[in-house]
Amino acid sequence: MLSKDAIKLYVLGLSLLGLTAWVFFRENRMDWTDYQAEFKEFVTEKFGAERAAQIPTGIQQIWVKDLDQVDRCTTCHQAVEWKGLETAPEPYRTHPKEILEKHPLTAYACTSCHGGQGYSTTLPDAHGNVEHWDSPVLGAEVSEAYLVKNSKALMEMNCNSCHRYDRETKGMDYINTAKKLVEEKNCRACHTINGRGGIIGPDLTFEGEKPTEQFDYSRLTGRHSVFAWHMAHFQNPKMVSPDSVMPNFGFSSQDAQALSLLAMSWRKKPIPANYISGVQLRDVPTQEEIDKEKRMLEGEGAFFVQNKCFICHSVSSLGVESAAKIGPDLSDAVTDVQSRFGRTLDDFLMDPTGTMSVVLSTQILLTPEQRQQAIALLKVAYQRKLEQQIKNASPSPSPAGK
Amino acid sequence: MATENISAPPAKPGTNSGFLKRFAFKPAWEKLTWTWRPETKREAGDAIVRNFVLHWFPAKVSLESLSWGYSFWLGTISAVLFLILTITGGVLMFLYVPSVERAYLSVKDLEFSTSYGWFLRGLHRIGAHLMVAVVFLHMVRVFLTGAFKNGRKAVGQNRPLNWIVGVALLLITLLLSFTGYLLPWDQLAYWAITVGTNIASSAPVFGEPTRFILLGGTTIEQATLIRFYVLHCFLLPLATLWLVSYHMWRVRKDGGLACVEKRYEEAKKEEQPAIASKTYSLLGITGGTAVDVRNVMVDDEKDKVPSSPYLTVRLAVVTLSTLVASIVLTLIVKAPLEEAANPAVTPNPAKAPWYFLWLQELVTITTFTVGGFTINGALIGGIILPGVLVLAAVLWPYFDKSPVSSIGRWFPKERKWQNWIFLLIVAAILILTFIGTYMRGPFWEIYMPWQEWEQTPRKF
Repeated sequence: MLSKDAIKLYVLGLSLLGLTAWVFFRENRMDWTDYQAEFKEFVTEKFGAERAAQIPTGIQQIWVKDLDQVDRCTTCHQAVEWKGLETAPEPYRTHPKEILEKHPLTAYACTSCHGGQGYSTTLPDAHGNVEHWDSPVLGAEVSEAYLVKNSKALMEMNCNSCHRYDRETKGMDYINTAKKLVEEKNCRACHTINGRGGIIGPDLTFEGEKPTEQFDYSRLTGRHSVFAWHMAHFQNPKMVSPDSVMPNFGFSSQDAQALSLLAMSWRKKPIPANYISGVQLRDVPTQEEIDKEKRMLEGEGAFFVQNKCFICHSVSSLGVESAAKIGPDLSDAVTDVQSRFGRTLDDFLMDPTGTMSVVLSTQILLTPEQRQQAIALLKVAYQRKLEQQIKNASPSPSPAGK
Repeated sequence: MATENISAPPAKPGTNSGFLKRFAFKPAWEKLTWTWRPETKREAGDAIVRNFVLHWFPAKVSLESLSWGYSFWLGTISAVLFLILTITGGVLMFLYVPSVERAYLSVKDLEFSTSYGWFLRGLHRIGAHLMVAVVFLHMVRVFLTGAFKNGRKAVGQNRPLNWIVGVALLLITLLLSFTGYLLPWDQLAYWAITVGTNIASSAPVFGEPTRFILLGGTTIEQATLIRFYVLHCFLLPLATLWLVSYHMWRVRKDGGLACVEKRYEEAKKEEQPAIASKTYSLLGITGGTAVDVRNVMVDDEKDKVPSSPYLTVRLAVVTLSTLVASIVLTLIVKAPLEEAANPAVTPNPAKAPWYFLWLQELVTITTFTVGGFTINGALIGGIILPGVLVLAAVLWPYFDKSPVSSIGRWFPKERKWQNWIFLLIVAAILILTFIGTYMRGPFWEIYMPWQEWEQTPRKF
């Protein structure tokens, strides 16, 4: 019994050793190790060993925290940002430069435009045409399956996540066509899109978010996919859903492709505000505020508006009104300065102390001539104030102003 | 028998000595291929008693307890699997993030970028599935051999209690697996737990509150994930550890594996009738289970071997076999990871974890429509039937009146009927599990394994 068991033990020990080797081998011989080795050879041949030695090894990844996205595509596609490999075979080709200038890898990574499974480090999984991953790389393979002429067109669906509110975007021909068709055919007569439109048809604002299972594929021949459904539906709505009242617009297959891409691009996934094209990240002043500033610029106190004094100070006697009113009204600066600092206005403005010294030395830089101009104007302002006081004291009412 | 093997080979006198001996080939080789050869039986016994891990084994053990064919070592295999799961799980705890936002991504990372992450996750997953299966088989073995019955060997035997502990351990194993099922936070996880907890909620009165407490709310969300995580990584393993220790201790208290009982029966047959004058004794007055004054004398030494190395070597064989089998399966079977959990999209079909699929099948079978009324089977199939089964399992030893002679034997004639009933239930569970796993397709329709399902729609 013992010796039999001992033999079993040896056999098991050896198989465990073998299995360890197997696990070790599998861990260290992934798809990407082959590609990296091949790329090194490729670069050595083309640019010499020195350049090849600089190629990083191991899993590479681009992490875009803003988009909560990790893409490991550059593990195999190592030449994306190289120069001189524009015509090399994939995965060793340089990425077209112009688009990367506006969409740097560090801010957009890869799959936000191309699709695919960024986490993955094995070929079929990464290209995403696998079970349980619904975002394949939108390139030649999928384009051919749907007879899309331009193999880069499908990608426009992803581009439109951020360019959704553009009327027209450079390089997005399919989506541009589709957007034009939406206006031309007046889709909004029946459908609400982005909060505007009719209620006869379904709201399409988040059409791209509709789960794949919620389409009726029973009347489709061929592939059961959302894209195929939309294509068929745009070309003949009643054929796909017999109860539909949507008219048949007789779209060409290319138009149907474009419209399908547009509809599928309307997704709900939150995108950071700074990624959305056409959204201005500033508070736009209201028309009222603009008019007021314009009026102040035309008046006697224009100097104080031009030189930004009015950010803190009103000069009410000259019609200048500060929104913040942090500083005192400068209408009576002549006497006010005297009482606050014990100095004349002329003296103070030429050599200010306190807050004004900081402001006038860092933020508002005035030449000596401009300072003289300010002093002169402030004296006028004081004059005006006195005049207004006299006017107000008289019984006849008069409107405030100049 | 083999006991003589234990003594060390006689030393050859007069060979290499001193300096030369230390560098001689043979001792060096012996050092490399170190073997345990206790010089005496006492040394062999000490090796067990002194060792922290081994001391829960007896110093000597009967050969039939060690045989492969009686127990199939299923309890030991379960314990080894638990050990594998504890170790891999401990490492996984460093890598997995139990948050709704990060859980799925951290599992993707394990699959694709963490060194040996795919292996860790695969081994943990296979280990868990195997443990459910092996613990169940262990229970089947114990039932079929009547090993939950008290015999005559030891005072203070309480095998029925240990059987109940075993049933509790099976339930905890299922819960461990069930709580772990949610953690990857993919569609498979999310909907399996949805189905599972919906069945639980159909229990009268307690159902809804139980589900609410389990989920930490009314939907499966962050609160659920953290609850399942803490249960999975802390409370349930702790309970398992505690109960397994008690389970083992009880095995010792109950006089070892039930198969040794039959020797007492054999010995009893051989024994001469006792002389009447010897039947009174103080022991008779003190009472208790030891009133059988004519206690059978069994030569305890007969057929017994020292645990070291007989049991320890076999333990090593079982441990290594379990590890090797788990690793091979890990390398062959791909651990699935579906799309990220999406409450808005119900997969068709949505299935519970495989070991609960017989329950889901029962729910289907017991759901029927009479006229305009639909009777929901969740209560009958999901709560009452499994509840009755567990209760029956717990109480069975107390109603099993078969003779002591049937203990510790496979398929004894005396327990024919109860074994048949038990096997019928086991077969039903297995068949329903098979149907649920391999034959249920979209809309819970029956699909033969060779029949193709409708194609799953895709985006492109």
